[in-house]
Amino acid sequence: MARPPRDAHAFPIESIVTDNSILQKGADAVARATPDGVARRVRGLSDRAVAWIFIAPTIILLLAINIFPLIWTIQLSLTNYRANRPNAEVRDVGFRNYERILGNEDIWFSMQTTASFVVLTIAIQTILGFTLAYLIDRKFRGHAFWTTIILIPMMLSPAVVGNFWRFLYQPQIGLFNYVVSFFTGAEPSSFTMLGDVDLAMWAIVIVDTWMWTPYTMLICLAGLRSIPDYIYEAAEVDRASAWRRFWSITLPMALPFVMLAVLFRGIENFKMFDMVNLLTGGGPGSITEVASITLKRQAFEAWRTGYSSAFAIILFVTVFGLGSIYVKALNRVKQR
Amino acid sequence: MADVSLKGVSKSFRDVAAIRSLDMDIADGEFLVLLGPTGAGKTTTLRLVAGLERADAGSIWIDGRDMTKEPPPARDVTFVFQQYSLYPHMTVYDNIAFPLRSPARRLSEDQVKARVDEVAEMLRIEHKLKNKATALSGGEMQRVAIGRALVRRPAIFLMDEPLSSLDAKLRAELRLELKRIQRELGATILYVTHDQIEAMTMADRIGVLREGALVQIGTPREIYEAPVDAYVAAKLGSPRINLLPRTAFPNVPGPPEAVTIGARTENILFDGAGAASAEGAVDWIEHLGDQNHLHLSVGAHKMVMLAEPDTELAVGDRVHLHLQAPLFFDGDGRRIGA
Repeated sequence: MARPPRDAHAFPIESIVTDNSILQKGADAVARATPDGVARRVRGLSDRAVAWIFIAPTIILLLAINIFPLIWTIQLSLTNYRANRPNAEVRDVGFRNYERILGNEDIWFSMQTTASFVVLTIAIQTILGFTLAYLIDRKFRGHAFWTTIILIPMMLSPAVVGNFWRFLYQPQIGLFNYVVSFFTGAEPSSFTMLGDVDLAMWAIVIVDTWMWTPYTMLICLAGLRSIPDYIYEAAEVDRASAWRRFWSITLPMALPFVMLAVLFRGIENFKMFDMVNLLTGGGPGSITEVASITLKRQAFEAWRTGYSSAFAIILFVTVFGLGSIYVKALNRVKQR
Repeated sequence: MADVSLKGVSKSFRDVAAIRSLDMDIADGEFLVLLGPTGAGKTTTLRLVAGLERADAGSIWIDGRDMTKEPPPARDVTFVFQQYSLYPHMTVYDNIAFPLRSPARRLSEDQVKARVDEVAEMLRIEHKLKNKATALSGGEMQRVAIGRALVRRPAIFLMDEPLSSLDAKLRAELRLELKRIQRELGATILYVTHDQIEAMTMADRIGVLREGALVQIGTPREIYEAPVDAYVAAKLGSPRINLLPRTAFPNVPGPPEAVTIGARTENILFDGAGAASAEGAVDWIEHLGDQNHLHLSVGAHKMVMLAEPDTELAVGDRVHLHLQAPLFFDGDGRRIGA
């Protein structure tokens, strides 16, 4: 029985951060640091062997859930394999799958949709999250209470969020349309957020922002809290205005944290699947069909396993490449 | 430069009184050191002068103007923090130039550079100007922090234990440098420390604080030789002054109400001529190279005295002691005659 290819939206993003050579270097360092006397006492095992035994579970897990599926996916992407026809002959097709994907306008459109979704959500959530964090960091009365309140959306399951926002967006009975009409005077049933070609993307952006702004806020807040009070006091004594304190101290010192929030949200939303699937399923038409929806349709509706594996690899390389460039930039900022 | 005046200043944090009705004057160009243990209110006093805390009562005058309600920027002070407080993401140059780049100052970049270079030279950090602030040693960081204070030529310098996180050698070096710079600039400095050596070596006057109140203020010599009470006497001098019951030295003439007798280590002599004040036994000798610390038992009491580096005394030897200029304290610890 052939197993289906890798879960459509679970690209091994973690490998951007988890570098295998770090583990090996770590094991070597531990081995070298262990005093000879101690090392020899461990029942005839060399200290290197002991070090490897300690990290073996991690490496085995990593191989089993990251590396092995990745290699299998690469292998499948070079074939015409279809998971719904396990007995059919599997032919090697070389790079034809990749050629067909890169020449397909629909695929490019879904990539553009993903890109605009990622850029929109990151921009809005970063600005909103940082502003909220800045306000919470004023440490007004009850700021802890408000922090908890703000964090609630993040604690909900995306499936729940997707479902109840579908009700909120209902043109006849939905609260969202009612509230909008209350402020604008437009008829509540005159527009449908999820059914309108111009509004559907925004509907998803609103839900994602509602749910994940608390997350960026939390990370930005950690950044703001990491700036010691005496730095601000020094700046105040040095006669820096509040405006200058913000631009020359608050922002540059919190920037690594803000960038980290952008990285996490960027990777998450590049693989965005659940919320879009629940809210619009990629519709209307294919207006909100982000890459992972396309991938799922190809893999589990059209059952073009080899083809969708190739697409998964292309997406993986894209995220991995962008992520690596970004992490480099992040490290440079951190070292400043 | 300017003078500072605190008039009846009080400050509490919740229920804890940090400063109780403090009166203090700092003259123009004076180096005043506030000395006291942790929690005595030294830092709070400094922060009140800087405007980082608001006084509950009383008033603070800088250069003849009532500054009690003014925010820090209006007071023309600088503050050197214990934790360096450099801007970590800036270079040394930008750190020092930071106060000069305030829009109210309108200095050209050439003027800024001239001032920064001048200060850097004074502090001997010219070669570090391009470094990141975080890529410096502790001593260099504190020099940069001092440089950032110097560059503005403020009315008053406020320094909160600036040398406490440095190692002993650097501390001795910077101590001299700070004093030199202060003389050169004629700066008014209010300096907080719990290190009596810093206080003795740098101060024009020392103010000893205890539980938010000024116990004594005066020149280092006055405080050392004529402390108002046993607390102040014990604050200065290392090893500490010997405080023993009056009854341990029945032969020493003194006022009748004296309960405690205080003898500084250097004021205890081996008896040459005349009647001995007391007899003691050597318990332990600490060899410091340039001098020896002799730990003695006098009856049931322990005391410490200085001895020549080439002393031939050994543990167990009995010695005749003679007290020179002893201090007498009454039952409340106040010095008699103060």
